[in-house]
Amino acid sequence: MQHEGNPLPKNRKKETERLAQDSIIQIHDLVYTYRHREEEINLPAINGISLDVERGSFTAVIGRNGSGKSTLAKSINALVLPTSGSVIVDGFKTDEEAHLWDVRQRVGMVFQNPDNQLVSAIVEDDVAFGPENLGINPDEIRTRIRIALESVDMYEHRKMAPHLLSGGQKQRIAIAGVLAMHPDIVIFDEPTAMLDPGGRKEVLDIMKQLHEEGITVVLITHFMEETIHCDRIVILDKGRVAIEGSPVEIFARTEEIEALGLRLPFAVEIAAGLRAHGIHVPQDILDTDGLVKYIVSESDTEMKRSKA
Amino acid sequence: MSITVENLTHIYNKGLAYETIALEDVSFTVPSGEFIAIIGHTGSGKSTLIQHLNGILKPTSGEISIGDIKITDKRVKMVDIRKRVGLVFQYPEYQLFEETVYQDISFGPKNLGLPTEEVDRRIRKSMQLVGLDFEEFAERSPFELSGGQKRRVAIAGVIAMEPEVLILDEPTAGLDPKSHQDILNMVEEVHRETKNTIVLVSHNMNDVAERADRVFIMDSGKLVKSGRPQEVFREREFLSHIGLGVPQTTEVAALLSERGFQVPEILLRADDLISFLAERLPAGGV
Repeated sequence: MQHEGNPLPKNRKKETERLAQDSIIQIHDLVYTYRHREEEINLPAINGISLDVERGSFTAVIGRNGSGKSTLAKSINALVLPTSGSVIVDGFKTDEEAHLWDVRQRVGMVFQNPDNQLVSAIVEDDVAFGPENLGINPDEIRTRIRIALESVDMYEHRKMAPHLLSGGQKQRIAIAGVLAMHPDIVIFDEPTAMLDPGGRKEVLDIMKQLHEEGITVVLITHFMEETIHCDRIVILDKGRVAIEGSPVEIFARTEEIEALGLRLPFAVEIAAGLRAHGIHVPQDILDTDGLVKYIVSESDTEMKRSKA
Repeated sequence: MSITVENLTHIYNKGLAYETIALEDVSFTVPSGEFIAIIGHTGSGKSTLIQHLNGILKPTSGEISIGDIKITDKRVKMVDIRKRVGLVFQYPEYQLFEETVYQDISFGPKNLGLPTEEVDRRIRKSMQLVGLDFEEFAERSPFELSGGQKRRVAIAGVIAMEPEVLILDEPTAGLDPKSHQDILNMVEEVHRETKNTIVLVSHNMNDVAERADRVFIMDSGKLVKSGRPQEVFREREFLSHIGLGVPQTTEVAALLSERGFQVPEILLRADDLISFLAERLPAGGV
């Protein structure tokens, strides 16, 4: 970077870029085993995962039930500690007890069921719960509550009782509670699984917004549509990384996706179906907007062609 | 077996400061053997409604009949309702508790006081219906199964009661895409084989469009609309206004029409959209 006017030889430059890339999460050879209930054996939930997550990126983790997604998420904020291998968050190893709170403060988690995450009878108390536990002074807490609730667009509901809110609103309060801790990373573990279509959209928009604000977002989901705007998709299977890549790369691998118990996002499924009819739809169409634009422009071209 | 709901109203905490009208004057009829879906945003009254259909909740006012039995009549025994109406709750696998799959599924039929041979026949039949191989799964612990398999066990426990009305509250929540499709295919298979009446509560408009004969829309405790999927999913703006949406196929068709590429009919399945477009787009392309 310091030799801007004088480019480095190509291979040196690549090396520098690699070093400059800032991995906020570094997972190295992670194994996590749990004890089987009856038979006296240890079973692996995570069976050798190595993964780096770049600071400020948006990563989606998908895979069938039991593939290790949630265990991986819990490994990142030290709810689960490695049986072997390591997880390093912003320089802190998760299994060093002295740094437990350094890790937890950096990594916020949002879970599937909003009702299990709300602890207070009033929205703003709920958001205050985390910062209070960090021993932050009351003035600062008030500021944090306001900013956190504003960023999920729930500030006007601050005096309400959480149980009177909709599913999407409750999930936004849970997110505000996490944001008030000023995390660098937020991990969403199936945050929309229990929400109606409106609530799902609310939460998805907030995840995108947090990413734009520079927070590192890791999203675990079963909804393929939610992954198409991510920087990177990681597919887990049997406790390992099966494939990873950009959404365009991943969803081009139709057969593998199905073999891994997943499916294509809707627009990709339609594009694949059209290709089977001999229509060469470009590979980079992932969402309905892209699909609609393509179809309209193709039919316009066809109309001009037939007129000529 | 048919379902008849007449002027059903349910008020929580009636007479207290927190009085809430959860259902307001809901009336509908579902003929025997129909597959209906109920949609509505969280808090619209769906769960309250289905809990009335198998007698867990009693109406503040109104009447419900299942077949020729008026289940809101105080003299009707719960067990007679349970024989007719099976309810699969959300995340039903949380309610598994026995040591083996066999024992877990046997719980309901045993409580009906059926003889052992009949209980055994029903367990085998329901395991076959939900796609769990008897030899492979009967003696296994339900807790060592995958998420999708556990849910099948839980649903088999309800099906083993041989209800003529089967109600499922979001049976695919939290499942991966493959298990999601498997469970819905299984429900359709049970429906085809037993000719039972299905009531599916779902947030997934694609599933509803592809599988239901009729769709009921709930909003603020009221039944605001009902009709065939082709009819209700025409109302894109209305559905969005009440926190719902339309199936993605319908959405794409609507967006295309807005931009001058006319899609005349309401398409409900991805395959329908693909065939429609394939006929109108030039082969090759960019």
